[in-house]
Order: sequence, then structure tokens, then C-alpha cells
Amino acid sequence: MEWIRILLSRCTALFRRKRLDVELDEELRTHIEMAVEENLRRGMTADEARTAALRSFGGVTQTKEAYRVQSGARLAESLAQDARYGLRQLKRDRGFTLTVMVTLALAIGANTAIFSVVNALLIQSLPYAHPERMGTIFFRVEGAKPLDGLHAIDGTQWETLRDNVPSLIAAVYGWISGVNLQAGPRVQYVHDARVSAHYFDVLAIRPMIGRSFSEEEDRPNGPKAVMLSYDLWRSILGGEPSIVGQAIRLKSESYTVIGVLPEGAQTPLNADLYTALQPSRTGEGGGTNFGVITRLRDGATWQQADAELNRAWAFRAADYAREHPGGGRLHFYSVPLQRGETAELRPKALTLMLAAGLILLIASANIAGLTLVRMTRRVSEVATRMALGASRWRIQRQLWIENLMLAGAGGAVGASVGFAALRGLLALLPTHFLPVARVALDGRVLAFTLVLSLLTSVLFGMLPALTMRRVDLRSSMGSHAVAGVEKLRLRQCLIAGEVALSLVLLAGAGLLIRTLIHLETLPQGFNPTGIMTGTASLDDARFQDPAAFAKLLDESTAAMLRIPGVENAAVGLSLPYERALNDGVTFSDGKEAGQRAMSGEVYATQGYFETLEIPLLAGRYFTASDGPNTQRVAIVNRTFARRFYGNENPVDRVINKGVVIVGVVSDVPVAAGLDATAPLAGEQMVYIPAKQFGGKLLAMVHVWFQPSWIVRTARPVTGLTEEMQQAMADADPGLPFSGFYSMKEVLAKRLALQRVEVALLSALAGLALLLSAVGIFALVANIVAQRTREIGIRLALGASLGQAMTHVSAMGVRAVAAGLAVGLVLCAGVLPLMHSVLYGVSVYDASTGLAAVTMLVAVSLFAATAPALRVARIDPARTLREE
Amino acid sequence: MGDTKLDVLQGTLDLMVLKTVESMGPLHGYGIARRIEQVSGDALTLNQGTIYPALLRLEQRGWIHAEWGMSESNRRAKFYSLSRAGRKQIAKETQNWERVAATMARFLAENS
Repeated sequence: MEWIRILLSRCTALFRRKRLDVELDEELRTHIEMAVEENLRRGMTADEARTAALRSFGGVTQTKEAYRVQSGARLAESLAQDARYGLRQLKRDRGFTLTVMVTLALAIGANTAIFSVVNALLIQSLPYAHPERMGTIFFRVEGAKPLDGLHAIDGTQWETLRDNVPSLIAAVYGWISGVNLQAGPRVQYVHDARVSAHYFDVLAIRPMIGRSFSEEEDRPNGPKAVMLSYDLWRSILGGEPSIVGQAIRLKSESYTVIGVLPEGAQTPLNADLYTALQPSRTGEGGGTNFGVITRLRDGATWQQADAELNRAWAFRAADYAREHPGGGRLHFYSVPLQRGETAELRPKALTLMLAAGLILLIASANIAGLTLVRMTRRVSEVATRMALGASRWRIQRQLWIENLMLAGAGGAVGASVGFAALRGLLALLPTHFLPVARVALDGRVLAFTLVLSLLTSVLFGMLPALTMRRVDLRSSMGSHAVAGVEKLRLRQCLIAGEVALSLVLLAGAGLLIRTLIHLETLPQGFNPTGIMTGTASLDDARFQDPAAFAKLLDESTAAMLRIPGVENAAVGLSLPYERALNDGVTFSDGKEAGQRAMSGEVYATQGYFETLEIPLLAGRYFTASDGPNTQRVAIVNRTFARRFYGNENPVDRVINKGVVIVGVVSDVPVAAGLDATAPLAGEQMVYIPAKQFGGKLLAMVHVWFQPSWIVRTARPVTGLTEEMQQAMADADPGLPFSGFYSMKEVLAKRLALQRVEVALLSALAGLALLLSAVGIFALVANIVAQRTREIGIRLALGASLGQAMTHVSAMGVRAVAAGLAVGLVLCAGVLPLMHSVLYGVSVYDASTGLAAVTMLVAVSLFAATAPALRVARIDPARTLREE
Repeated sequence: MGDTKLDVLQGTLDLMVLKTVESMGPLHGYGIARRIEQVSGDALTLNQGTIYPALLRLEQRGWIHAEWGMSESNRRAKFYSLSRAGRKQIAKETQNWERVAATMARFLAENS
């Protein structure tokens, strides 16, 4: 029985089917042998018995065939056959297959990478128990100027939230800060998160050893206690469980270790260690300096919680109404924690996802065009198969199987491209930038990629498959298929669509690039070259005394000035490009007397302006004589002078009851803290001599800010940072620098988000441009190939080469022109959505639009004319002979 | 194969197989085929082979179970037995078939 073996060998790939076959064989053999036995018993001869048995069985072959059809093996076989045939076809069209695969890999890869981030940020549940019961608090002001956003609270609000909102377990946290930890003989710089009692109850994290903060430890001036992250405990503090109950030296004070968090435990703050916030109504708690997280208690609902919240904070709403007469009503509401934490990143992530989706559309349009051409070439093949009896369904199935194979392979390559792209993307981001610990390619991402592959195969396969349905057997057989006018139109439409989408992406990327350029080239107002800065934590008991602080500043700057090559050195609370302290200023004289305003505030040692080379516009800089016991002075920047004193000279005016303004300096760009409409702006700023910056505020600002030591060198000095560390050690052996940054790095850190946006959107726009160019090139190249005869005749009839070439490329150019027109309309609709991320450039920026159009036109023209050059190689005589 | 023999009607074979398995208990293919021939009094033209696709179909629908076992003549054979769903199916099909038969009988009586 030869056929069985053939069939069996065909099915080797389908393992189960093979077993079924073997079983059926055995079953049938048994059947026949039983029949033979029975016949023998009836007295037939052996031959007769076998013949009779086979006769009453009917056809063994037919039975097996019927059985296989029933078992589904037949369908699997014919599908496998189609797949093998498709594979051969794809191998033969190597250029086509390669182009499609690369296009798909890039498009699917880009989508996979961006979706991974979207997944990690917006979809994956937070790594806590019952994350749906966790929240944070937003505020909303309705009315003429609606406001909506994350709400930071002050000490009074915290106490009412804690005591009068029974539906919620709530906790507050302060700004994460850097602190100095004594570990053995060395002092280490680590990240400290200050959290209230019940913070870990909200997160539902139980310490691995010990306990979390008690309410006693969270009271102002309560016992000093610390909880350690697992990693810190293992790496720096020895990893002995007996550490719980012992004291460690933190911020030059003794803290009792009360607990260690479990391995891998994540918190929204992800700090090395945790200390009690000890919130109160004064000091830090006097302003809205706390963030909130909440967990709904069992049995309570969010509606209840929100109602209680608004009742508890009614005083706040009343204050707001008093301060904003005619403004809308302020009210508060709970927001799921994940949405609250990603409020800022969500629109950006979704914009990128949209852009990636456009890339997928462009890629699909491109591949649809290519497939269309391929189908045209295969019309006679299809017609032959149909003439030999293949059904239309079989032909369609063949086409779809080829599409699916392409999409599947493209998806597989795309997943790995996406993985690589994701690595690259994460490397671009600064650490602690995303509010999630890691971004992984999980099952959901892979499922997304799979769905995407199927979707593209449908998108690009649909048009060609539809055109194939109309293949007419008689006219197609044997004729040299020429692309119909209709099919050409279709391809032109596809190209126009691609060009339109590319234009949108190019214009969008252009606007972001303009924004970045604007931000990076803001009038600097200082000289950033030749500057090296180092930050250190002064959140340390030893430096709360103004005299000790002053001594540190004097001795460390003096030591740094002794480094060979250093021209100038100073210390400042914050640097240009960084965020400054926001503080209220009271005007004490003239017609402004009694008024209050908010301003940025920076303490600076003598030499701060000289080191940064911030020009003096009026008055004087700080001098060595501006000490703790002399006349209190201040220097303001130009914006401050303009805004509050108009055209008058602010020098010698008095603010804050007795602080005399002695100088005006030019503006430097800072991270906007007062009016956060742009990442960098020139805000009003008050500079105070470091030694006059005193009182309670000194300890508090050092919780929030790490001051910078700034040195200027004429030329690069090798080993400068080591020298700076040594100079610091000379002044204070227990004070490590937490990091060294050039001004370029400070700026990069500030504009990290903008840079990532630009990099990503530019990459996507570049991809779109490339794909469109490939599409146009393929279109025109194809027309040339298909119309060789027609062009030959034109040439023979006296058309010039130029005319013939123009005739051919015109089809591509027309598609591009239509695409540009549609694209401009799309831009008008889509670009205004980018409004919130643009600075220093308007949504309808003419030069950006022009640049995008020019670039697209240049690339398109190249793509449309390059293949037309082949016209020159057409020999009219030969084409006519071939006729 | 004489003219008086009946061809197996589409759909009736399944019910015959089910009924056979129900009355005989677990049985191999040959046994089922022989039983059907015997019960029909050799009035049916049954290619014994046709019961195998039918058995697979019934198994796929979950009406019968198949299990390898040893025949009375000590041969490895696949034994088929009725499942609970199969039992229900018999009841349904029987009712259905009786209705059709009764209708046909009435129809034929009227027109004769």
C-alpha cells in the first residue's frame, strides 16, 4: 500500500495526525482479520475468506479518505500545501519579500516598543495588592478658567484628611531627598523618602523584618526611626537581621532601624531608605508640600470617600472662594493611583502610540501597493490554476496564506526589533524618569504584536485580494497583463495617503525640534562653558547651625580655589536650568509697600555670579563683607525688577522688612516653578547671601535641595572632580559629593523629556519618510517596467527622452501632490493637539511647515525620478520588434 | 447486492451505530458493523468501512468514547462505548425519527 506511506510521510509534520493514521490502520486491519476469521469459521478457504471480507468492507482506500476528511487531516494537508507553495512564491520574489519584511519589522518593531511603554505605564496593574482600591487626590475648579490636576496638600489638610475621612487609609510623603549615611568608616550618599505612618499600609507592604512607622514616630519631634530597602540592607549595611533595633548614623544623627522591606518590594518613591515625615501644620507643612496616597477601606466606596473628603476640606474650598472672587468652585476627588501617577506622561505616551499607529498605516499602504503589483504579475498564474480547476475560494485562501506568512514573519522580526528599540529608548531616559520600576516585553505586549501582525496582513492583503476576485479567465490567460488604469489609481491613492500621513509626522516632529532648539538656545544670561558643578546633601544635623554652615562654605570654596587651573569657585542653592525655591516676598517701601508676591529664591556665596559669569546690570555683586551680622541684602534679576518696579531702579529699595536690594543681574533660564507653562523660563528671582540665609528655612531647604559647588576653569582640567572631592574632604571629611555635572548635563537633565520626545517622533517621522519614498519609488519603477512597450512606441514616434520620463514620473508626482494637499488639511486638524508640548513656536509655524513640505517634496521627487531614468535604457527598436 | 436491498440513508447510520453501542455495551468496529447487518436482517447495503468515519464523527461530537482493548480473539481493537451525551442524543434522534416515520406513513397511506 504505497499511497499510505506517501500520505504518512506527508503528514510527518503533523505529529498527531500521523498517530491517528497509524491507529486507523491498525483498527482496519483488525476489522478485516476478524471478518476473515469469521468467514473461515463458516468454512471458506483462506483466499475466499479474505476476498469476501474485503468485499463486505467496501473500499479500504475510500474509507481512509473519508476518515481523513472527517478528522480534518485533509484540510491541514491542503493548508500545508498552500503554505509550501506560498513559501516557494515568496522565495522566488526575493526582492518583494525582503522589502515587505523590512517594512513590517520596522513598523511592528516601533509599535511594539512604544506599546511596551504604554503597557507598563498605563495598562499593567501596579505591583501592590488590590491596586484598584488605591488612589490619590486631584482637585478641580469649574468655571470660566477650569483647572484640574494632582493636588499637593499642607499640614492642616493632612490632619483633617487623616482624622475626618474614615473611608480612606491615607498617607503623605515629602520630596525625596539625598542624605548622608554612615556605613562603617565611609559616608555614603543615599536616597531618603520621608513618609507618614501607614504609608506601607496603603501600599499593603509588610516589612520582611521588623515593623513600619508607628504614629508616635510620625509625630513632630518623635523618636528618629528608619526603614531600609532590601537592597540597601544587603549591600551596604551587612544584611544581618539583627540590625533591627540597632541605631545607624544618618544625617549625622542616630536613627533606630525598625524594619527592612521585602526583597523586590517597590514603592512609588523607590528610595534606598525611609524615614518618618513627622508632618505638622508649620514649617514644611505650612505650605502644600506633601503628596497623598490613599487606600479605600473594606466596605467603603469611592463616592463615600470623596464626599467625606470634600466635607473635611470645606475650609480649603472656602479659602479658595475668598481668594478668587468670581472664580469657580474648588472641589476634590479621588483618582486611581496609576492614573494619578502617570497624569503627565499619559498624553505623551498616547501621542507616540498614535504616531506609531500612523507608521503602521503607512507601512500597510506601502505593502498593499507592492502586493498589488505582485498580484498583477500573477494574474496569468492564477488564471492557469483556475483553468485547471482551482476554486476561487482556493485561490483566495492561497493569497491570504501568503499574506499571513509574511505578516507572521514580519511580526516575529518586528518583536525582536521592538525589543532592541525598547532597550535603546530606555537607555535614553534618565533614571527614575518613569514611575515604574521596569518595562518588560510581557505576554500582553507579545499578544499585541501578534494582533498587529494579523491586522497588517488584513490591511495590506485586502485590496489585492479584492482585485483578484475579478480575474476573468478568458481575458487573462496568455495575455501580457498590463496594469489597468483602475489599479494604478488605487496605488496612487495609497501613495497619496502615505505622503499625507508622513507630512503630519514630519510637521509634528519639526515642531518638537523647534521647541527643543528654542529651549536649548534661550538667552543664557551666563557662560555655561568651563563650569563643573558638584552636589552634596546638607540635610545633615551638623549644618543646621548657620555658623557651621558658613564655615563649611568658606573652607570648601577656599580649598577649591586652590585646585590648579580653577579660576573661580562658589556655592549656590540651585543652578541655572534648575528649579529654585519658591518663596513669598514682601515689599517694604514706596508705593508697593505691603504687597506680597511669589518669587524664586536662591542663596549664593560671594563669587556665585562671577563664577557663572552672570552679568551685573546695576548696583553690585555680593562681597565678603555681606555676613551674618551686617546689613541684610539681596540681588534681584531683571525680570523681578521689571515686574515689580517697572522702569524704576530697584537698587536701594527694601523688601522683606529690612533687606536692601543692592544689585540687579541678568536673567538666567530656570525650571519654571511658579508658572509651569514652559520647562525653562526666565522667572523673577531673588538672590540672598548664603550667610544671611538663615533661621528655620535653612534646615528645610536642605531637605528639598542639594546645593551645588561650582568651579570655573579656563581649560579642561583632568581629574577635576577627584580634586573637588579632595577639596571638600579637606573642609569636611564626612561630606561626599552626590554627583558632578557640567552645565550641559544640567540642561540635558532638565530637557530629558523634550529630548526623548524629539528623538522618538523624529525617528518615527524619518521612518514614515523612508517608507513613503520606497512606495513612490516602487510605483514609478513599476510603471516603467510595465509600460516599456508603450514608452518604446512613444520614443519611436518622436517623443524626446525627457518627455517620456516626465510622462512616467508624472504619475508619482501627481500622487505626491494630492498627498501633500490632504496632509496639509490633516495637519491643520491634528497639530493643534500638540499645543501643550510646544514652547516658543506656534502650532501653525510657517517655517516648520515649509521645511516639512520641502523635505517631503525633495525626497518624493528623487524617489519619483530615479526609476524614471531607466526610460533612457529603453531601446525603441527592440521593444517594437518584441511586439 | 440485489435490488431489494436498501441503501443506508444519510444520517441514519449514526443512529444505528449509537443504538448498537447502547444495546451491546462497549464494542469494536467489526462487531458494530456485523450487529447492524444482523439486526437489519441483511436488508441493508452496508459497506462496513463506512462506519469508521461515522464512529470518528460521533466521537468528535462526544457521543461515544473510544478505548483500546483486547478482543475475544485476543486482538488489539478499539472499543466504542456510549457517553451520557450520546444517550441523550439517542432519545432525541429516536423521537425525531419516529415523527418522520409516522408522517411518512400517513402521507403514504393517504396517497395510495
